[in-house]
Amino acid sequence: MLIFRKPLEGIDRPQMPADVVIVGGGPAGMACALRLSQLIDEHNAKNPDSQLSKENIYVLEKAREIGQHCLSGALLDPRSMRELLPGFEKEAPLDAEVTKEAVYFLTEKNKLKFPITPPPLRDHGNYVISLNRFVKWLGSKVEATGITVFTGFAGSELLFDGDRVTGVRTDDKGIDKEGHQKSNFEPGYDLNAKVVVLAEGTRGSLTKQLIAKFDLAKGCNPQTYGQGVKELWEVPAGRIAPGEVIYTMGWPLTTKEYGGAWIYGGKDNVVSLGFVVGLDYPDPRLDPQRVLQDFKQHPFVTKLLQGGKMIRYGAKSLPYGGWWSIPPVAGNGWMILGDSAGFLNSQRLKGIHLAIKSGMLAAETAFEALTKDDSSAKTLSGFQRKVESSWIKDELWKVRNFHQGFEHGFWAGMFNAGIQQFTGGRGLRARYTNRTGPEHMKKLAELPADGGAESRLLGPAKGDGKLTFDKLTDLYHSGTKHEEDQPSHLIIHDTNICNARCAKEFGNPCQNFCPANVYEMVDDAEQPNGKRISLNPSNCVHCKTCDIADPYQIITWVPPEGGGGPNYDGM
Amino acid sequence: MPDTILVVVEQREGKLNRVSWETLAAGQALAAETGWTLEAAVAGSGVAGFAGEIAAKRVAKVYAVESPKLEPYTPDAFSAALKQFIESKQPKLVLMPHTYQVRDFVPKLATAMGRTAISDCIGYKRDGTKLLCTRQMFQGKLAADVSFACDPPWFVTFQNGAFRGDKVEAGASAAPVETVNVTIPDGVIRNKPQEVFKEAKQAVDLTQAEIIVSVGRGIKEQKNIELAKQLAEALGGELAASRPICDSGWLPMDRQIGSSGQTVAPKLYLALGISGAIQHIVGMKGSRTIIAINKDSEAPIFEIADFAVVGNLFDIVPPLIEEVKKAKAGS
Repeated sequence: MLIFRKPLEGIDRPQMPADVVIVGGGPAGMACALRLSQLIDEHNAKNPDSQLSKENIYVLEKAREIGQHCLSGALLDPRSMRELLPGFEKEAPLDAEVTKEAVYFLTEKNKLKFPITPPPLRDHGNYVISLNRFVKWLGSKVEATGITVFTGFAGSELLFDGDRVTGVRTDDKGIDKEGHQKSNFEPGYDLNAKVVVLAEGTRGSLTKQLIAKFDLAKGCNPQTYGQGVKELWEVPAGRIAPGEVIYTMGWPLTTKEYGGAWIYGGKDNVVSLGFVVGLDYPDPRLDPQRVLQDFKQHPFVTKLLQGGKMIRYGAKSLPYGGWWSIPPVAGNGWMILGDSAGFLNSQRLKGIHLAIKSGMLAAETAFEALTKDDSSAKTLSGFQRKVESSWIKDELWKVRNFHQGFEHGFWAGMFNAGIQQFTGGRGLRARYTNRTGPEHMKKLAELPADGGAESRLLGPAKGDGKLTFDKLTDLYHSGTKHEEDQPSHLIIHDTNICNARCAKEFGNPCQNFCPANVYEMVDDAEQPNGKRISLNPSNCVHCKTCDIADPYQIITWVPPEGGGGPNYDGM
Repeated sequence: MPDTILVVVEQREGKLNRVSWETLAAGQALAAETGWTLEAAVAGSGVAGFAGEIAAKRVAKVYAVESPKLEPYTPDAFSAALKQFIESKQPKLVLMPHTYQVRDFVPKLATAMGRTAISDCIGYKRDGTKLLCTRQMFQGKLAADVSFACDPPWFVTFQNGAFRGDKVEAGASAAPVETVNVTIPDGVIRNKPQEVFKEAKQAVDLTQAEIIVSVGRGIKEQKNIELAKQLAEALGGELAASRPICDSGWLPMDRQIGSSGQTVAPKLYLALGISGAIQHIVGMKGSRTIIAINKDSEAPIFEIADFAVVGNLFDIVPPLIEEVKKAKAGS
């Protein structure tokens, strides 16, 4: 019997007043906290008689340490950081400035180099970074301001009063597998906040709650997502220069899947490589972790990695939908930042700079709310206006139709991208629409039994233990740890669908798209198809893919007990 | 009448809980600062001896709150007895150690008296006449000062280690001890205590085992665990498992080997139907000799096994048990 996590009912919870609660200590949340502190310092210097305190500004971060759940390629476009901390380059942990870039189209054995690097993929002036180290550094700046970062505490649900968000409830600690209180039980806190800032990353669980409650996605294109699977490698010297950037398209994907790979040269012969697969692929048997393993077997990549050592693994989803998919980002008591809102440029594959900028703008609005003592929609909608008149919109507007152009495959996508390039992002229509990712998934009966042209992509990776790895081995390198004795934080609303319908119709794609072996079908003679869904929640790397890609939309990801999750040191 | 601080010390099964000394030290410090009178009480049946032990410390008076119904401990009896006693003495402040037993009855006691208890404090401060109790929040990241909004008596419990028990000062002379008999009417005690047990945190210490028979998914069904158990018994070893087995509840979690379980290095590790994912390997790769039985010849466990047996464990294990038994009988 599966027991799922939910906040306990009918218990007294400690209440704590707060001015601003920022949920999520990634680039967006930390930039927001830091900017807010700067504004308060300026205010206090000018107004000795009306001092503002930072004591009641809190950042909730579900990871045990700052930055531990931060995963990205990553390339940093320094634009927003230069605004936030002029001269940040001198002290921030940056691996290398981008010096060399190339884009390839891969076929099974060969590679075709694009004669010129397409403008959106030109990265001179950007930096190769480890997002984990970068956010750790940014977080230490935030802590130095006197703002408290509660590491190991997740936002488990939003608190409402009518149409107003009034706060955040943190996770209950010390609940066992059956949902009973253990001896170390500690109820979640109710942080009653004037302003709640959601900076949870892609597919934030509180953001999801908010969007559903107020129907915020109405009128937007459905958000679409990709899943990035990443490995960090240490390779023999001389294989790739620090600051060298390589993008590939094509193999091992076919023209029916959207995606591509990155290879970034960091310092000390460390290479970041990964593959992003759009979570709008047709064949439910596709496994993104396997795609990365196949990619590494391309002679071009093998040559780079051979004799090296894989040192870390991770996976994360990212929002591709672009401008038309972004819900309203401010309302009565709340604002949404970064990947939670969908501030990502899918053409440039970059979102960190936008996340930071959105955090800065939200801080300005939160500051206004504190000085005016009004955090109603009237004040907070200032954030919406700031976004629309900032370079966030300029940048996203130019690529507003980019990902939707690939709705019908690679060639149509390249065609649309070309036209959009010459029409300021418009293309053939003012607004391209799209279906949700899971709506692209086909039933097994509609697909060739052997997978056809996609057959090479399907099923789990075997792994040779040197160049390629099976999923469990990769997972081991994510350093993932959770308190084992707790209810499942992956909530399946109806497991009968898994065991009966999905097993037949889609063959339980959760086993394939989950990059961490959380979902398994185990033998059970009593089930109609002889198998039953079984969960390994403590394997979860918090990528949210299941919440996104499940064809029946019956999986909800909620944060497990705070402190659990991957350890993305150096990622 | 001057204000009084009452420290309720804890005894259980004839033993004074050491944390009581810490609470008494807290009481002494508070009494010195406030000028309030410090008294102590111990509840139970036949506890005059403890009262004498406490009377040697610097306290004004010690009460032995007595009733035969206080033994064995029940939350109903303790809160009833202490309620009677505290109502008659009207102390301003009641201090107790934050032990399991106190946690058990203090909410009931405070509620029955219509008072508030501030629990698990790590210290106190005084703000004028106000007493502020310091509690940890957010797992120790914040400390909150909490004060009472209700009338006395105020209940405070102190966390283990909040004060130093060895700092308790001895009294110049023994304090007077008064026995207070309380009557607990029939029907008050609704709890029926069962035998006391200690939750076995680590019932088995697999790290000490010389021989471990470990089962994985290949065992198929819960009832087949018995087979592995028989082999372990024949060999004189311990039974262990990989994670799926413990996840299914077929064996308790303390028998799990691997990254989320125990790490072992026995002389002999026999892996039955374990594929050998790295998460399991890291928990047993230090074993001196590893024998693996698995029907999949490509199972990764074979890469670290000293002896690899490719085959169905249900064919191999039963005769193996017989052979082990024979060999042992012969030796």
